[in-house]
Amino acid sequence: MMMISQKSSSMMYWTCAVALLISLAAYADASMAGPITFNSALPVSDGMSILRSQVKLTRKSGDATPAGRVLNVTAAPVVLAYGASPKLALFGVLPYVDKRLDVTMGGVRIRRDAQGIGDALFFGRYTVIQVDRPGDTLRIAPFAGLKTPIGSHSQHDAFGLVPRILQPGSGSWDPFMGVALTRQTLDWEFDAAAKYRFNTGAAGFTFGDEARVDASFQYRVFPRTLESGGVPAFVYAVLESNLIWNGKNRSLGVTDPNSGGLTWNLAPGLQYVTDRFVLETAVQIPAVQNLNGTALESDWVWTAGFRWNFFF
Amino acid sequence: MFVLRLLLITGLLLAAPVASMSAQEANAQSATIRVDGLSCPFCAYGLEKHLKKIAGVEGVEINMKSGKAIVRLKPDVRVDDAALKTAVKKAGFTARGITRQ
Repeated sequence: MMMISQKSSSMMYWTCAVALLISLAAYADASMAGPITFNSALPVSDGMSILRSQVKLTRKSGDATPAGRVLNVTAAPVVLAYGASPKLALFGVLPYVDKRLDVTMGGVRIRRDAQGIGDALFFGRYTVIQVDRPGDTLRIAPFAGLKTPIGSHSQHDAFGLVPRILQPGSGSWDPFMGVALTRQTLDWEFDAAAKYRFNTGAAGFTFGDEARVDASFQYRVFPRTLESGGVPAFVYAVLESNLIWNGKNRSLGVTDPNSGGLTWNLAPGLQYVTDRFVLETAVQIPAVQNLNGTALESDWVWTAGFRWNFFF
Repeated sequence: MFVLRLLLITGLLLAAPVASMSAQEANAQSATIRVDGLSCPFCAYGLEKHLKKIAGVEGVEINMKSGKAIVRLKPDVRVDDAALKTAVKKAGFTARGITRQ
């Protein structure tokens, strides 16, 4: 966690934006094992399915108020991708979440928590540009989908109704859209995705909209040189970037000034890629956080997961 | 009569390469496909599965470095280039050239 001044933070945003634009431009010449901290650039061939599961541990703290809030979230999203055609891929995401908030109330330290199935995501991605060369491919694919209110948003604990930010589900139908790019060579891969989600409300509460730009660079570190035959397993060193903006939440028509803001994460990671499965891990570390009011800052997010491809 | 003979000769000349290609396709024991866009192991599996689905394909060996798929063919079963190209396309790649041995 790093606090920075207003002036230097604005310089950092411009630096981030320029770096991302340069990355996107450079991307017009890269390839694909897939990013770790975002889903939308996964390659799926016609009739093939990819099952992806992850465990994500998130810790948020840095509460400046006497409440001393500390939030721990464990999420286990399961992603199923299906290649409906060589260009159209369909995705479904169903997460399990466990949220725990430790907070001081009336001088006593208490814990509020909620667990269960979260909101499901469904989206489709269509490849509009595909440029293939020997050992090299470039793909550009817009995508669109819907977050559906599968998860509960009315759980209670010993202290009553759990706050909405702790509920496993949002209760709302939230459409989203974006575009994904992938350039992959035998030596390295670059993925990028830009996405916007329009959050609608449910039961008097609306989460702020979310906009994000993700980028992932993967460099093959093993084997250092490719043998002349076969399909060897690759180990990639990975560096990802997540620039995320969240709007302010609204409750009963009143905007919450202590919610939303801008976060830029950097995530170093590792991937082990074979022809049948991928093992991967990354740690998202916030490089810049400019959050509104007393919104909780992220300390880190640790992600570990696997992908397995199969035909029905 | 001359015109008829000319037409016959022309027809035979045009048919010869096609007949020769068909014979080559029918007699070949393997086909090597140059696959453009193939650049990670995780993507190679889909290509292998699609090629193996073709009737007449005995086995598939993919060479990541050269970007080629070597398809072993069953004897006396004809597998045409179009079927191989379609399989590569379904896997999400581009077939640039096929050579028969």
